[in-house]
Amino acid sequence: MINQRLQTAVATALVAALVGTATACSGGDRPRATTDGKNPAAANEGGTVGGTPRRGGTLTILSNQDFSHLDPARNWTMPNMDFGIRLLYRTLTTFKAAPGKEGTEVVPDLATDLGTPSNGGRTWTFTLKEGVKYEDGSPVRAQDVKYNVERSFSPDLTGGPDYAARYLAGTDGYQGPLTGKHLDSVKAPDDRTIVFELNRPVAEFGSTVTLPTFAPVPKSKEAGARYDNRPFSSGPYKIESYEREKKLVLVRNTHWDPATDDVRKAYPDRFVMLMGLKGSQIDDRLIAGKGGDASAVQWSDLQPGSAAKVLPRADVRERLIAESGGCTEMLQLNTSRAPFDDRRVREAMLHAVDKDAVVTAGGGPALVDAATAYLPPALTGGRQADTLKIAPEGDQEKARRMLKAAGKDGLKASLTVSTGDKGRAEAIQQALGRAGVRVEINTVDPAAYYDTVGDTRNAPDMVLAGWCPDYPSGSTFLPFVFDGRYIKEKGNSGNYSQFRDKPTMRRIDEINAMTDPKAAESAWRALDAEILAKAPAVPVTLKRKPLLVGPNVAGAFGHPVWAGQLDYATIGLKDPATSGN
Amino acid sequence: MIRYLTRRLLGALGVLLAVAAVTFLIFHVMPADPAQAACGKNCSTERLAAVRQYMGLDQPLPVQFGAFLTGIFAGRTLGTGQYAVDCGFPCLGYSYAYSEPVWDLLVARLPVSVSLALGAAALWLLFGLTSGVTAALRKDSLTDRTLMVGAVTAASMPVYFTAGLLILLFIKTLEILPYPGYVPIAEDPLGWAGNLLLPWCALAFLYAAMYTRQSRTAMIETMSEPYIRTARAKGLPERTVVLKHGLRAGLTPILTIFGMDLAGLLAGAVITEQIFGLPGVGQFFHKALTTGDQPVVLGVTLLAASFIVVANLLVDLLYAVVDPRVRY
Repeated sequence: MINQRLQTAVATALVAALVGTATACSGGDRPRATTDGKNPAAANEGGTVGGTPRRGGTLTILSNQDFSHLDPARNWTMPNMDFGIRLLYRTLTTFKAAPGKEGTEVVPDLATDLGTPSNGGRTWTFTLKEGVKYEDGSPVRAQDVKYNVERSFSPDLTGGPDYAARYLAGTDGYQGPLTGKHLDSVKAPDDRTIVFELNRPVAEFGSTVTLPTFAPVPKSKEAGARYDNRPFSSGPYKIESYEREKKLVLVRNTHWDPATDDVRKAYPDRFVMLMGLKGSQIDDRLIAGKGGDASAVQWSDLQPGSAAKVLPRADVRERLIAESGGCTEMLQLNTSRAPFDDRRVREAMLHAVDKDAVVTAGGGPALVDAATAYLPPALTGGRQADTLKIAPEGDQEKARRMLKAAGKDGLKASLTVSTGDKGRAEAIQQALGRAGVRVEINTVDPAAYYDTVGDTRNAPDMVLAGWCPDYPSGSTFLPFVFDGRYIKEKGNSGNYSQFRDKPTMRRIDEINAMTDPKAAESAWRALDAEILAKAPAVPVTLKRKPLLVGPNVAGAFGHPVWAGQLDYATIGLKDPATSGN
Repeated sequence: MIRYLTRRLLGALGVLLAVAAVTFLIFHVMPADPAQAACGKNCSTERLAAVRQYMGLDQPLPVQFGAFLTGIFAGRTLGTGQYAVDCGFPCLGYSYAYSEPVWDLLVARLPVSVSLALGAAALWLLFGLTSGVTAALRKDSLTDRTLMVGAVTAASMPVYFTAGLLILLFIKTLEILPYPGYVPIAEDPLGWAGNLLLPWCALAFLYAAMYTRQSRTAMIETMSEPYIRTARAKGLPERTVVLKHGLRAGLTPILTIFGMDLAGLLAGAVITEQIFGLPGVGQFFHKALTTGDQPVVLGVTLLAASFIVVANLLVDLLYAVVDPRVRY
């Protein structure tokens, strides 16, 4: 029986999906992008699809792509980290396998607890659990965690998280263990103890070690760049075969002991990932959910064009997960030169952007929410702050008046976006046009986008770019995006606004020096509001991660930490016998 | 003949060298920096310099190009120390994205593209030549006009449109075929053919239409030659006149086009592989382009150019077989 709330939700979603970009052009009534943390159009938010799984069977993952890296020293892409950490390797600590806010809770994994700080938060000691084994039955040792941390410094093994380089003491010029040198700031006095000496107090280091840099790699299994193709498992599964861009098969690691692991449930016997499939065909296969596809899930987002096939059908819609992706997309304003070196012009932009229109251009409220702050909801208790109280559709007339008062009417500004973002850029262009700012859009091929906008000398006036925190702490967001000391002439990333605000940088240092994680998080939230008031960027949207699962899939939910990707720790099948191969 | 072959082979090497140089240069004038892309977010200047050195991108451009060319014949070693990677002959470089030699990656994907190209070629030759010859022999008849209208219509439909129609009809509506994947022929010949049937048809549809028109024109021209009249005057059966004297001579221009078409497809039918999700060289190439994996792009470009150069040479040699008047 359909209740009124569900009817409202379906109706809203339908409107969102069907009116599409037409409403953006007409300027008529539009589905409202809510800012209150509740989106009636988002499916199964914070819930689990399919009930509790049964053990066994093969879960198939349909993907249009391969992993960029599976080597734990190199794995720094949100969904890939989820896959690696949940299935192939364990980290010192990890996140609870639960949907919603509960999933942001850090729990012990390889370690017995969340670490013991000493020396004013500059030294962190972890003790490894007993009985944790690799796929060949050999024990996981603290020396192996140290070895992988050292590997992350190697120029052969690029792309991984840089927190070890950022936080560990005495790393200048270090180029990894492949050269035969080791780090003195990571000590493994015995097989079960690992000690990290940091270059400053890091209150949330117990969360930092959730990153795959802090997973074990035994030196005997080192294969340099080729380790990426066959990581040695300390998790519940091991790689049976891996044909790049084609197929990855995982089977059980029989030496994984569930008694040592409170997080991973390892329900399926096998995971088979089929790669290189076309996105729309993956959607169609999962909408139909027949045969082997009933036991399949999708890796990449449901295509915006497929939303209209999913949302009106209750039987399919109940298999859609659309957890918040946890990344804030911002219109970053180049503060290094006119016109956005003037704070009054930037403040006007906060009112000029029509976030509703951008939401619609991005697929509607079922797939996108409007953003009201820089820090995403996972960092602020599941809901973004809204200190400025600006309506999602903006107030272009007010923006026009603000610009006039600042003597800056008749402005022109360039906006550079990746080719896939042209629709959203046009929504911004139209709104800014109504506020009296003529926007010239430049689209750049995705392969060259970050190099183009990362060239600070030739940077455009505005860039549409997002940032995803690596774990729920303001320290993984605000310094990367708004600390002027991170700006580089070439290859600049994060701080595309080129925001060099001394009070902000001073405050970042003060918060980084705090030893109480709760006080630090509270301070990050306050700083978020302070920066927003200075308007180096307009928070625009929060993308959801829409993923469809087959009708035989159970225990599926989008994890709030890993950009809304399915939590592979607890996923499984309702009836494993019907999963085939 | 040997002199001719030597000249052609030297010419082919020159073409390949030029293709490699141009592709190499294009990548280096583009704004994308492979070292920056590999290094990841917030890469420090020092680390970027170390990565650039590891990838050999700190060397002057001519040195990099020289190392690439030398590597093709003599192999290369990437990195230093215990875990440096050997890339043996023929080393087309080392993929930034896959941490594997480009040649190995290409060899793993070639069976998909070759299966797609050969199957489609068999279909388009069969239908294209049959309908072309039929139309030519019944010139200006209703059959001829129907075939030509059909050919023009088919030739004007791009492969992504035909592929979409086939998917809609046979997979989504009638549900008589599964979404294509790739099954190696050695594992399951029927599965191999069943999965490739729609991609074959999508590709063959377009090519068959063009071959219909070309073979019709060639046959009409050949069948009006004096030697055909002589053959008929000698009382040879019409079947012999058409197949032995007409078709054989008419095939010469078709052979040239076929060689080029097939060679182009062997190195990957980018659009068809993308639409049907086939993990062939074309899909690989597309991915490499979007991720800036320069060694892969360079490798696929050289492979494609090699196929075309070799096909051109083979076609020229086959002229002598098809047309006895040609001698080298």
